[in-house]
Amino acid sequence: MTDLTAHPPRGRRYAEITGEITRVPLDFPQRRNWWILFSFSLLLLLVFIVSAGVLFTFGVGVWGNNIPVNWGIAISNYVFFLGIGHAGTLISAMLLVLNENWRNSLNRFAEAMTLVAVTCAGLYPILHLGRPWLFYWMALYPNTMTIQPQFRSPLTWDFFAVLTYLTVSLLFWYIGILPDLAASRDRARKRRWQVFYGLISLGWRGSAFHWARWRTCYAITAVIAVPLVVSVHSEISLLFAAGPIPGWTSTVFPPYFVLGAAFSGFAVVSMIAVVLRHAFGLYAFVTDRHLDLLAKMLLTTGLMTAYGYCIEVFDALYSGEKQDIATMFDRLTGGVAWSYWSAVICNFVPLQLLWLARVRRNPWLLFLISLSATIGMWFERYMLLVSSLYRDYLVSSWDSYFPSFWEWSLFAGMLGVFLTPFLLFVRFLPMMSAFEIKEAVFEQEQEGEEPRHA
Amino acid sequence: MSLRDGHNGAVGARIGESLRGKSGRTFWRSLDELAGTEDFRRFLEAEFPSIAPDAGSVNRRALLKIMGASLAMAGLAGCGGETDEEALPYVVAPENVIPGNPKWYATSVTFGGYAQPVLGKTHTGRPVKLEGNPDHPAAKGATDAFTQAALIGLYDPDRTKAPLHLGRATTWSTFDAAIREQAEKLDGTKGQGLRLLTGAVSSPTLQRQIGDLLRRWPNARWHAFEPAQETTRRDASRQVFGEPLDWHLRLDKAAVIVALDDDLLGPGPRQVHHGRMWSERRQAFHNGKAACTLLVAEPTPSLTGTMATERLVVPHARIAILLAAFAQALGLQSGVQAPLDEAAKAFAEHALERCRRNPGAALISVGAQHAAELQALALLVNERLGALGNTLGFTDPVIAEPPDGSASLEALVSDMSRGQVGTLLILDCNPAYTAPVDLDFADVIERVPLRLHAGLHHDETAALCHWHLPLQHDLEAWTDARAVDGTVGIIQPLVRPFYDVRSKHVLLENIAGRFDATDRDLVQATWRTAWGQDFDARWRDTLYRGFIPDSVLPEKAPTFNTNPITLPQPPKADGLTVLFRPDPTIWDGRFANNAWLQELPKPIGKIVWGNAVFIAPALAGKLEVENGNEVRVSQDGAAVTGPVWIVPGQEPDTIVLTLGYGRRISGEDIGGGLLHELGYDATPLRRAAGPWALAGAEIAVTGNHQDIASTQYHSAMDGYDFVRTVSAPDEQAAEKKKQPSFYPNRKWDSPSWGMSVDVDLCIGCNACVVACMAENNIPVVGKELVAMGREMHWLRIDRYHEGDPADPAMYFQPVPCMHCEQAPCEMGCPVNATTHSPDGLNQQIYNRCIGTRTCSSFCPYKVRHFNWFDYTADDPPETQAARNPDVTVRQRGVMEKCTYCVQRIREAQISAQKDGRILVDGDVRTACQQACPTQAISFGDVIDPESAVSRRKASPRDYTLLEEVNTRPRTTYLARITESVPGKAKS
Repeated sequence: MTDLTAHPPRGRRYAEITGEITRVPLDFPQRRNWWILFSFSLLLLLVFIVSAGVLFTFGVGVWGNNIPVNWGIAISNYVFFLGIGHAGTLISAMLLVLNENWRNSLNRFAEAMTLVAVTCAGLYPILHLGRPWLFYWMALYPNTMTIQPQFRSPLTWDFFAVLTYLTVSLLFWYIGILPDLAASRDRARKRRWQVFYGLISLGWRGSAFHWARWRTCYAITAVIAVPLVVSVHSEISLLFAAGPIPGWTSTVFPPYFVLGAAFSGFAVVSMIAVVLRHAFGLYAFVTDRHLDLLAKMLLTTGLMTAYGYCIEVFDALYSGEKQDIATMFDRLTGGVAWSYWSAVICNFVPLQLLWLARVRRNPWLLFLISLSATIGMWFERYMLLVSSLYRDYLVSSWDSYFPSFWEWSLFAGMLGVFLTPFLLFVRFLPMMSAFEIKEAVFEQEQEGEEPRHA
Repeated sequence: MSLRDGHNGAVGARIGESLRGKSGRTFWRSLDELAGTEDFRRFLEAEFPSIAPDAGSVNRRALLKIMGASLAMAGLAGCGGETDEEALPYVVAPENVIPGNPKWYATSVTFGGYAQPVLGKTHTGRPVKLEGNPDHPAAKGATDAFTQAALIGLYDPDRTKAPLHLGRATTWSTFDAAIREQAEKLDGTKGQGLRLLTGAVSSPTLQRQIGDLLRRWPNARWHAFEPAQETTRRDASRQVFGEPLDWHLRLDKAAVIVALDDDLLGPGPRQVHHGRMWSERRQAFHNGKAACTLLVAEPTPSLTGTMATERLVVPHARIAILLAAFAQALGLQSGVQAPLDEAAKAFAEHALERCRRNPGAALISVGAQHAAELQALALLVNERLGALGNTLGFTDPVIAEPPDGSASLEALVSDMSRGQVGTLLILDCNPAYTAPVDLDFADVIERVPLRLHAGLHHDETAALCHWHLPLQHDLEAWTDARAVDGTVGIIQPLVRPFYDVRSKHVLLENIAGRFDATDRDLVQATWRTAWGQDFDARWRDTLYRGFIPDSVLPEKAPTFNTNPITLPQPPKADGLTVLFRPDPTIWDGRFANNAWLQELPKPIGKIVWGNAVFIAPALAGKLEVENGNEVRVSQDGAAVTGPVWIVPGQEPDTIVLTLGYGRRISGEDIGGGLLHELGYDATPLRRAAGPWALAGAEIAVTGNHQDIASTQYHSAMDGYDFVRTVSAPDEQAAEKKKQPSFYPNRKWDSPSWGMSVDVDLCIGCNACVVACMAENNIPVVGKELVAMGREMHWLRIDRYHEGDPADPAMYFQPVPCMHCEQAPCEMGCPVNATTHSPDGLNQQIYNRCIGTRTCSSFCPYKVRHFNWFDYTADDPPETQAARNPDVTVRQRGVMEKCTYCVQRIREAQISAQKDGRILVDGDVRTACQQACPTQAISFGDVIDPESAVSRRKASPRDYTLLEEVNTRPRTTYLARITESVPGKAKS
């Protein structure tokens, strides 16, 4: 690892940054570990295919749903995965717009994480359909039936939101990675790598003209992507909040969900950052300061999510609605109270350690706290969904829900869908934005500071 | 049948040809020869693919043995049948047959011997629905759950399809030959040793035939055994009046009804009649024109108890004491001096006081499961109350009395054990399962040298007999029967028999050695003698009507003998009392193979596909058990093991066991093998001396757990107002305040449909639920899926209890789709699969639904049901035939719900348009509305202020379920009227 705090000549320093990053895919140093992980993710992917196959062959009945709990972990996972993805956009797009340079070493893999998370999330609404082969009827397209989707439905908004979000994220990520792909092409020694990177870098020459156009595209896409974070996850929350069901009809849901998404997303980004940094020795790029900042974001969004919990309780009591109060108490003490308290404990208890700077800069503690937060957020999504459905208005409708084997296996398989493309990304593509790191270094030098870069 | 079509049809035809006319040994020899041929093997593979792979491994003889019945069913039996013609469309169609337009025939189905009048709807020869007969004086157009489900009984794939001799399929000609021999022998001895055992018989034709048989063969005897019948009332009549009489309770004339453990409104042949009468009285009470009070004392909650004005929880043994106290207050001594506790004393006083205030309009009734002496005392009490001739009428028995009366089965058993029975014909009766265990029927019958069983299924009794002869189902038969009021109904077939079955009338002629008459001839013969010259016109008129008008048995005014009645001393309160009740949906077991009835949630407990040991909350607390924990109920060496179900409102030392489960029917379908594992068989504890109650029982927890499938696990309504109560018919049940909404107010044009359900009239009988299943092709999903919460009934009846679990207030509330004007489901669906029609219906468009289930998530009433699997793919052709062609059969992955019977609405509108008339109120009736015995459901145009439903909605008792959600439902409820009872806190 090069000590970039020393002062070699400027040009060579910049070159080393690019070199360090592009070397990873070209001379991949962690082959064995990667293959182990990749085989595991392929196995999970196989589980996914089998589970989805059983689902399509026999019907949604292979899951544990019933009336009233007709949505289960498929939908809570949908929200969970989509939420995770939002942090990537927040880091790459929002922090770009706010001109926070420290995001420059995190944004590439964060955005890649967004892409795979949104893909995973986007598969769930198709999988959970009773007639999944007709999922495209939620789209607005000219058809011989002359029927449009029903626009008042949150699911129609879902369709547009997730599609838009996926498209914009993909564009944003691709635009962002272009210059580095070109750099990889230029540094590749083997012919096949040159051809590969050459094709996907679309003929980038790094000319001023290219950069000018590029900067416009990048900025515009970022500006489009930022409000999407708020709108997409607010819309997801309306999937629940638009209906009259007690425990769901809470106006705090849109911000509550967005903040919860940011929280879970930052947790996952932190985990990935720690792992990649450790695996590929990227300590120079993802410094302690980055971990510190990520931890602060985690703490902030975590506290905001905690606010959501408190407001929910307040809302129910303040409303005086008998059913809402009953649902609220049931969440705390009823049949799925285990999910509520698991969420509260996993989300907020280890989180408090992040008040200490020592803890924030410790990568492994940060990893564990993030893992706890991720699991806690999973419990929260489960709790929100099941606790409102299994006991709602009429006492006669009350029933219980137990996810079946096929739901769990689909979840496990979905982790394979998450990991496989991400591992491929780590293997074959420059996982950090070299040119943006260089940009940050340049700006610091301009300001006369020691290059701490990023 | 696939046998007829294509190449296989030709092969089948050839095989059939070579077997035609052969019977017995020659038939089997020919079949044996055939079985070796290549043609036959190919035929086998095509016709019976499930066993064809085994055909190679099993040897030919074994294969033919297995296949015997099926081959006979497939029409290869050597009896004369149709030639193999191919189905062709009509070139010159018969008059009035328009495919798509149903034809209706008036007929009846029998239940417990009584006729339940129906109008059968057929589509091109297939019966698809049964409705009540609106002109019939007893039923007035209503039906009960058993009647509605009789349709699927017709299509039962486990019905025996051909006669069986010693377990092997045979032909009717073989039977004819055998029975001819037997008849000749019996002729010689004047019927010595011949015994006929039937169920309850009200059929004039069958009675005539039995009479003829007994006259021809005086040494033969006739016995009758019907498990749940009112024999004690006959015996009481004999005691008090000197002759057996039938009692007819005139509930529409009673201002006060005191029911001591008598489930008047409960399941049974009288439910429709009683429900209708009680409802008329209750509606008169709503209109302020009459009083209608129901005072019930019972050990376990029943439908009647749920509707009671005042209910007392009292042990079985103390019913006699309560009656005695009543009698004593009226000056009648009964020899019982035991004291009553406070609550019972108060109850008796209130009841007496009300009765005194309504002389001539009071009625007291004791459940028929209590001893004849109690029934007799009740008669005397009724006489003092002035009920006789007013609220209580008498006629000659509608069900014919066998010579030994209520001891008929015991007499037969004792004769059999003494070897005096040479030939036993059991006609539509299953004593091997339903008889009390200490009669040892199954052992004793072994002594009979020739045993013939005639019935629909190869049941426990058939398994013990040499011959099993398949009978016609009522819907494919020519016969007659009397309704509960005595009106004669001529039963005409809705369809030609599917299988190789025979009428019981023809069978009875066969026993006597006669083979030439058809069932129609025999029924006509009865009425030819009765009507003489007028026969042709009257026959046609009767078939058109379905019943003979004014054929009720004449009312009798019997004279009392004034001997005092002495009640048997009530047993000491020692240990637990076990009560046996016929199952509310399976009855005594006869409907065990009826999938609709198995899946129908029983009114108390909402249990399906099984029964439970019903205990009170106090007893459950003592044993520390919850629902599903297994217990063992034992008495004197016999025991029954089953899962517990806690029933609020049951007497603490009472255990209720229901009959009908643990059955064995052999059949090819799943009904056959798994039936035995459903529920427990209560028979081991039923003794002949007291088949309905058993004292001194013990209960022990076994430590195991059995899953009970129920559609409603929670029924405590404390704190909520799903069922609202008022204390008078004109009291306001809801503030008529329109809640604000940001949806625009919509203007509706006439007709705009709505429904009103009167909770004060609903007795929870489930007729509407089965009617809806029949009308709308609702699939049956089975025990496991119902236990998971995936039942498909579009209409459910919620049961709630409120207050002290030992003695709660209880309610039934039917919940169909609310058809909300501001429906959350319509807002939630992304693909416009649920929309609102211009005439006020919330529609479900099956072919647009992609199954996101948002509609169900948003529905506050949870009335939507989802096709989690493909429930209809494996349906046998019989089940497919029973379907209503006007309603879509839903695919996997599609949501469904109550549609306000939109197919009926459209049909009525179209036919009105074709006829050039306007739709009037009453032209459109939903299936549930039409079936309801108490007219609890009203449906029609809510824009028209004069329509019945608008008038109900204008009542002050009208309220909305879950009003606070502001969905503006079109289905509203009328509150239950609970009078305040002095000394009892109002719940």
